Amino acid sequence: MFKMIKKSLKTATVTGQYTSDSDNAPPVQCTAEAKRKAKPFRKSLTIREVDTGSCNACEMEMNALTNAVYDIERFGVHIAASPRHADALVVTGPVTVNMESALKDVFKTTPDPKLVIALGDCAINCGVFRDSYSVTGPVDRHVQVDIRIPGCPPKPTDILNVLAELRRS
Amino acid sequence: METLFKKFMAQFEGRVLNVRHCHGIPVANVAKEDLSMMARYIHQDKAMHGTLSLLWAVDHRPCEDRYELLYLFTLRGYQEWMVLTIDLGGEERVFPSITPVIHAAQWYEREIRDMFGLIAQGHPDLRRLVRHEHWPKGTHPLRKTYAWNSVLTREQGEYSFNRIEGEGVFEVAVGPIHAGVIEPGHFRFSVAGEPVMQLEVRHFWKHRGVEKLFEQKLLTAGVPLAERISGDTTVGHALAYCEAVETLLGLEVPLRAKYLRCVFLELERLHNHLGDVGAICNDVAFTLAHAHCGRMKERIMQLNDQLTGSRFLRGIIDVGGMQVDLAPQQFSQLIGELDTIQPDFTELEKILAVNASLKDRLETTGLLKVRTAWDHAALGYVARASGMDRDLRFDRPFAAYNLLPVKVPRYQEGDVRARMQVRIDEIHESMRLIRQIQSDIRPGPIRVEPTTMPQPGDWALSGVEGWRGEILYFVMAGEDGRIHRCKIRDPSFVNWPIIQQAVMGNIIPDFPLINKSFNLSYAGNDL
Ligand code: SF4
Repeated sequence: MFKMIKKSLKTATVTGQYTSDSDNAPPVQCTAEAKRKAKPFRKSLTIREVDTGSCNACEMEMNALTNAVYDIERFGVHIAASPRHADALVVTGPVTVNMESALKDVFKTTPDPKLVIALGDCAINCGVFRDSYSVTGPVDRHVQVDIRIPGCPPKPTDILNVLAELRRS
Repeated sequence: METLFKKFMAQFEGRVLNVRHCHGIPVANVAKEDLSMMARYIHQDKAMHGTLSLLWAVDHRPCEDRYELLYLFTLRGYQEWMVLTIDLGGEERVFPSITPVIHAAQWYEREIRDMFGLIAQGHPDLRRLVRHEHWPKGTHPLRKTYAWNSVLTREQGEYSFNRIEGEGVFEVAVGPIHAGVIEPGHFRFSVAGEPVMQLEVRHFWKHRGVEKLFEQKLLTAGVPLAERISGDTTVGHALAYCEAVETLLGLEVPLRAKYLRCVFLELERLHNHLGDVGAICNDVAFTLAHAHCGRMKERIMQLNDQLTGSRFLRGIIDVGGMQVDLAPQQFSQLIGELDTIQPDFTELEKILAVNASLKDRLETTGLLKVRTAWDHAALGYVARASGMDRDLRFDRPFAAYNLLPVKVPRYQEGDVRARMQVRIDEIHESMRLIRQIQSDIRPGPIRVEPTTMPQPGDWALSGVEGWRGEILYFVMAGEDGRIHRCKIRDPSFVNWPIIQQAVMGNIIPDFPLINKSFNLSYAGNDL
């Protein structure tokens, strides 16, 4: 116990220890329409992540957002365990034939009003998996997408920038 | 070398149809009827003690009208490889199943049935594996007659799970979409009271047709796709792919590039293992350790970014060598970072070692017996925690590992604790290796350009010990420098069926913990 407390005391605050080079960040497509839809969630946004066929790097960056360095909860963003509790769906990966109906189900179970965020090149345009027999298309072929965050994978700072942009709406 | 293969040849004098060597790997072509008997001998003979490492098919059309099935065995001591092959000519669609003899063949044979429509006769379970029930009948994507960009139609169908019936037995279905930020997969538990009686894993939700996509590519252009098979193993997959293609093209990669490849492979191991140790602690509600590990992992990710411009080390390895070099000051930066992380981690490790509740939850949980691990030909830290000291970095050194002797940890307990301990040991070993590379590496070129073109039909096999375990690539050249067939085997494909054994008798609330201790890739498994 003693050691644990000592370790905690010794470790300085790490939150915010990242460099965000917003100059090099990819252009975010945050339309006025998306901002309008995001308005009710300005102070608190609950996200449900759905992987429809990603390579799992996009998930890892989503997970990284919850570590002590990025600590996304300090912005009022929370990751929920069920789509029923979510305000926004973050979808990663191209939509595979086997995941197509699962994605549609999740979309249906998420209460309105809701946002859909396509995270990563795959979710936006299928990336390197385009046209494969087992890929049915990007996310917006199946559900309406409000915000697109490009990158392969998008860096946690890029995701934070977009969320900050939404908060400013 | 090859003493065991010679023994095999002596045993089956006159029955083997043809022997050749493919880039140093002995290949014996045998008759279909003899296959099971020979496989049994390799697997069960005390001296051979072989495990099945890979089983895959090749459609040789349009050049020749035949299918070939290839069986890769890793023989006693894990250092020697040998391949058995059988041919199916003309209209033949049936081959003998070796699953009754070698358990590890089970998923491979189901996969071949789905992808090629070749049926393993005598297989105890021929349900669909990759193709979900809504795929139309007769869809076999890896046949050469199937177009890579076909559009699949949907059919009605139902998958029948293995059922246990009886009083008080109920089923718990989990997935494909889970509670955490993880990949999709389905788990079906049969439970009576608390303990799990049976778990059936139903995967391949993320099947993206990667192997078929490779067949549209030039040999020299496959790296970006390989990097995106399983994002957390970007370097491992890129390296395994490059090693296979370089063998085909006869390229000798400069020594400096080989050393750099080792550095990045170890960095990838570090950030994943650090994350895993934390995640295992998190699953027993020890969130403090999780927070510390997450912080250290993030430091490595940021370091990756500073060194190469990619947090996942993408776009740095290429056929023929490296795309990025490390300047001496970058090396010092890297070592400086390790010098701060190592004592930090050691301190945490001491806290973990004496924590009683952690010990209580981790020990004897998710037990994988040595014998079960061997029967399934387990890989990576899962194998090393269950008594198998296999590690390709030591057994069949690739890149510069012939100059870097690796200390391979091994534990016998086979529980979650052992799997975590293997990772902890490997974290220290990776740091030691990177330090050694820094002192050994010399200036020099970092890439060579390919000059020759391989003969169509020539193939190469490569193996790389990624952080999760052994990654295998089989690459066969086609016309004009294209890929005719690329078989990828992520360690997850082998270890997923094993998890079904490891959870038996445990309670469902411990499943996330056991799952984390395996930490398998869904994307790498589903391809
Ligand atoms: S966008 Fe890139 S990182 Fe994200 S899932 Fe696709 S391939 Fe992986």
